[in-house]
Amino acid sequence: MQTSFEHFALASMMGQADAPPKANGSLCFHQSWERQAFGLAVALARDGHFEWEEFRQALIAEITAWEASHARDDPEWDYYECWLDALERVMRSQVLPGLATADPAGRVMD
Amino acid sequence: MTDRFAYPQDREKRNAARVRALEALLIEKGVITDQTVDKVMQTFATEMGPFNGAKLVARAWVDDAFKALLVTDTMAAVTQLGLPTGAAGAEGEHMRAVANTPDVHNLIICTLCSCYPWPVLGLPPYWYKDPSFRARAAREPRSVLREFGLEVEPSKEIRTWDSSAQIRWFVVPERPDGTQGMSEDELAALVTPETMMGVAIALPKAA
Repeated sequence: MQTSFEHFALASMMGQADAPPKANGSLCFHQSWERQAFGLAVALARDGHFEWEEFRQALIAEITAWEASHARDDPEWDYYECWLDALERVMRSQVLPGLATADPAGRVMD
Repeated sequence: MTDRFAYPQDREKRNAARVRALEALLIEKGVITDQTVDKVMQTFATEMGPFNGAKLVARAWVDDAFKALLVTDTMAAVTQLGLPTGAAGAEGEHMRAVANTPDVHNLIICTLCSCYPWPVLGLPPYWYKDPSFRARAAREPRSVLREFGLEVEPSKEIRTWDSSAQIRWFVVPERPDGTQGMSEDELAALVTPETMMGVAIALPKAA
């Protein structure tokens, strides 16, 4: 049976350190930006802008860095913030080398 | 400590702004369109009833005799609702239903291949085909279910059922509380394929 890239990408995270949170059997997003960040990463990898595995390694690195500096039950843990950090990192190195970080108003600073 | 309480909201705003900026830049550069994310997310959408399986479950929830038939002679129950019973020409292929109870949660896996009861559930979800899901669900179902966002009470027994080319299992989830007086169609809308594989439970309101 044919597997779509989207499904392959998510299946590759199952049971791994970078598996996204789920609620009652499905992906769960508490804020709409989490869903957008998720979809952006999958779409960019699907379209060949970076390798999915490369993104995963960046995500695992972000998660590892968080865990090294916080307690495991720290309530400020935010999976999709790590996801976003990883996405920006991979985009800076692969897709948009000139990418700067956004200021709080959402403007991209050069 | 006031800052501590103000922080999460600022953080959400800041992250939302970062994603908006990224997406806007990618659209501006022609890398993606404003439809891209929605299209990707559609591939992860959970199917809600009434698909064939949802109709079976809803009938079982309102009709005890049908439920008894569904778990003892699944094919007869499927035929009774006028639903397709299997892949044409696949002789010896049978579907079997197992019902969740207050004491038992059932989980369907397939350790050898992808034997999915597609006549009742449609196409298999991506995770069902994943070898790590199959192997780990057989070994440590409780922690695998936790990863699916389903915490099964320690007092509940978890039974895993191995589908094969001969027998394709599916789960009859428990009817959720707070659904008294709902019609069969309304009930069917609460059933997802995930509930019928045992990685989710039916909730009183469709997610």
